[in-house]
Amino acid sequence: MVLGGYPRAREVRHALRDVERGDISYHESAWRVLSAGAGIIGAQEAAGMKFVVDGMVDWHDIFRPFVAAWRNVSADGLLRYFDNNFFYRVPVFNDRPDPSDFVWSPRLRSFLHLAEPSPLKAVIPGPFTFVTLSKNSSGLSREDLAEGIASALAVEAQRAEAAGAGAIQIDEPALSDQEVTEDDARLAVELINVITSQLKVPTVLAIYFDVPRAEVYRELLEAKVNYLSLDVADAPKRALDLIGGQGFGDHRPVLGVIDARRIEDDNFERVREWVKQALKGYDGEAGLTTTTWFDVIPYTYSLRKTFLLGYYTERLRGEMT
Amino acid sequence: MSYQVPSKFPTTVIGSYPKIAGASEIIKRRDRGEISEEEFHRLIRVPISEVVKDYLEAGVDIISDGEQSREDMVVYFAQRVKGYAEGEWVRIFDNMYFRKPIIVGELRRETSLAIEDWAYTSSISQGRPVKFIITGPYTMMEWSFNVFYRDRAELIMALAKIIREEVMDAVKAGAKYVQVDEPALSTRPWPEEAQLAGEALRYVFAGVEAKRVVHICYGRLERLLPYILDYPVDQFALEFKNSDFRLLPYLKEYGYNKELGYGVIDVHSLQVETVEEVKRDIDRLMKLGILAPEKVYINPDCGLKRLPREVAKAKLINMVKAARLAREEW
Repeated sequence: MVLGGYPRAREVRHALRDVERGDISYHESAWRVLSAGAGIIGAQEAAGMKFVVDGMVDWHDIFRPFVAAWRNVSADGLLRYFDNNFFYRVPVFNDRPDPSDFVWSPRLRSFLHLAEPSPLKAVIPGPFTFVTLSKNSSGLSREDLAEGIASALAVEAQRAEAAGAGAIQIDEPALSDQEVTEDDARLAVELINVITSQLKVPTVLAIYFDVPRAEVYRELLEAKVNYLSLDVADAPKRALDLIGGQGFGDHRPVLGVIDARRIEDDNFERVREWVKQALKGYDGEAGLTTTTWFDVIPYTYSLRKTFLLGYYTERLRGEMT
Repeated sequence: MSYQVPSKFPTTVIGSYPKIAGASEIIKRRDRGEISEEEFHRLIRVPISEVVKDYLEAGVDIISDGEQSREDMVVYFAQRVKGYAEGEWVRIFDNMYFRKPIIVGELRRETSLAIEDWAYTSSISQGRPVKFIITGPYTMMEWSFNVFYRDRAELIMALAKIIREEVMDAVKAGAKYVQVDEPALSTRPWPEEAQLAGEALRYVFAGVEAKRVVHICYGRLERLLPYILDYPVDQFALEFKNSDFRLLPYLKEYGYNKELGYGVIDVHSLQVETVEEVKRDIDRLMKLGILAPEKVYINPDCGLKRLPREVAKAKLINMVKAARLAREEW
C-alpha cells in the first residue's frame, strides 16, 4: 500500500490556483480533483496494492481538511513539516474541536466506485501528532485537547467506515521524534485506541520520517491496530535493529522500503535484504509501503515509485512464499 | 558616498523582497531563452532599484538586492551551475511550488552567479552596505534531487567549492557582509548533519575577510543550536518571531556569544507588527543580558518575498523605528 498523499499533476495545480483566483468554478476544480484521484487510484490498482488511496491531491497539508471541518480551530502561519522543505499551516485550537462537517465520508462516496478490486483507505492524522504540531490557545490541558482531537477523529473514522472505507490509517509521524518520551507514547496509544476501538475495518498505524526510540516503540506495540507501518529506508540500521529487538507485537508489519522523498529508483537487492532481515522468524502477513506520502516529489516520479512498490512486492512474494 | 551603520541594533534584511512588477516576467523570458544572461541582469536592474528605494525609504541600514533575479533560492543557482538539470514542480506549501533541480553530473562554477546584481545594488545604495547573499552548500544539497554523487560528503564539498569561489570573488569586489543561507539545516537538527554542514561552511569561509553571516530559519532551531556554535562565522541570523521567540531561553542556556541577526518580523503573516511590538520583542532579548546591543542586528525572520510589497515595506518601516527606540534605551 502507498502511505498517503500524491503530488498534484499540472491540471490540479492549475485548477486549485484558478479557483483561488476566481477564474474557474468550484465545480470545475472539484471535477479536476476527482479526475486526478481516479488516475491515482488506477495506478495503485494496476500495481496490485491491497488498499488504495485517492491521493488527497486537494489537501494542502494533513491537518487542513480537518481544521476546515471543525469548529474552534483555525489554520495560522506556516511551519516546517518535520525535516521536509514543505510547510504546513499550524492549527490553532481555541476550544475542544467540534466537527461541523466530515472529511472522509463525502470523499469516499466520490471515489468508492473507482477503487476495485482493492478498497479505499481513509487516512487521518494521529491525535498525538495533531496536538504536538498545533498551537493550544484553548485553555485546556494538552491531554484534554488531545483527547478532544481523538474524539473528533474517532467520529470521523466511524463515518468513513460507514461510508465504505476499506481501511483506516492513522498517521503518527511525531512519534518518530527522538525526544518523544514513554509517557508521550502511552498517551498516543491511549488516543489511538479511542479511534480504533469502535472500528471493524482493518486499521493501520503509520510512523515515518524516522524510527521511534526503542522505549517508545515498546509502548506503541500496545496500540490496538491491525497493521503497524514503520519507515525502514530512512534509517535502515536503526529500523532493523528495532524490529529485530522487539518484533511487531500482535500487529501485521508494513515496511516502508520505497523512498517517497527521493526520485531515483529504489534498489531491489537492498529492499530484499531489508525485508528478509525484518521478517526473519515471522511468517504471517506482511506488507511493503512507501517511507511517507509522495507529495514532496514530482508527480511523474510518484507514479514510477507506485509501480516499483507493486513490482518489488510481487517479486518478493514470489521469492519468499 | 559613505554611510555610518549604527553601532547598536543595525537593521538589515535577510534577502528576498516581494517581486516588483516586471521581475517575474524578466525571469520567465530568461528561462525561455528569449534574452541572454547579460540582458537579464541589465533588465532586472529596474526592479532592484525599486527594492532599494523601499529599503532606503524604510531606513534599513544594511540592504540587499531583494533577490529580484531569483525565482527560488536553490533554482536560481542550480540554473547557473554546470551539473544541474532542471527539475519538475514540487510543492512547498499550500499550492506554492518550486522546480526542485536535479544534480545529474559533476558540479562546476563556470561564471559568476550573483555578483552582478550585488554590484549594481551597491552602486545605488547611497553608501549603505549591501549583503552578498548566497544559498549554502547544505541547503543546495538537501533541496536538490541528486542522481550523480554517491556520497553526501563529496556532494556537499563540491557545492562548497563553488560557493567559496563565488564568495571570494564577491569579497574581492568589495562585499563587506557575506550571508550564506542554510534554512535546510534546521530540518535535520542532528549532530552528524551539523558537522557535515559545518565542514562545508568552514571551507567556504576560510580566509574570508568580511562579516560572515549564516541564516537559518524555522524547524527545530533550539535543537540545532548547540551543534553550530563553533561554526567559523561572526553572526547567525535566526528566525524568532514566527516561533514566538521559543529560541530565546536556549541562547542563554547554550552561552550564545556571537553576533545575532534577531528575527522580529513574521514573514508569513500579513499583519504588520507595530513599533511597540517589535520594541518589546527587542527588549525581551536584551533583558536576558547575554548580548550587548552592538552584537544584535535587527531583521525579519526570513525573506519577505511572500508578502505584498506594501505590507513588506510597512513591516520594515516599523522594524527600523523600533530599532531606533531600542538604541535610545539600550
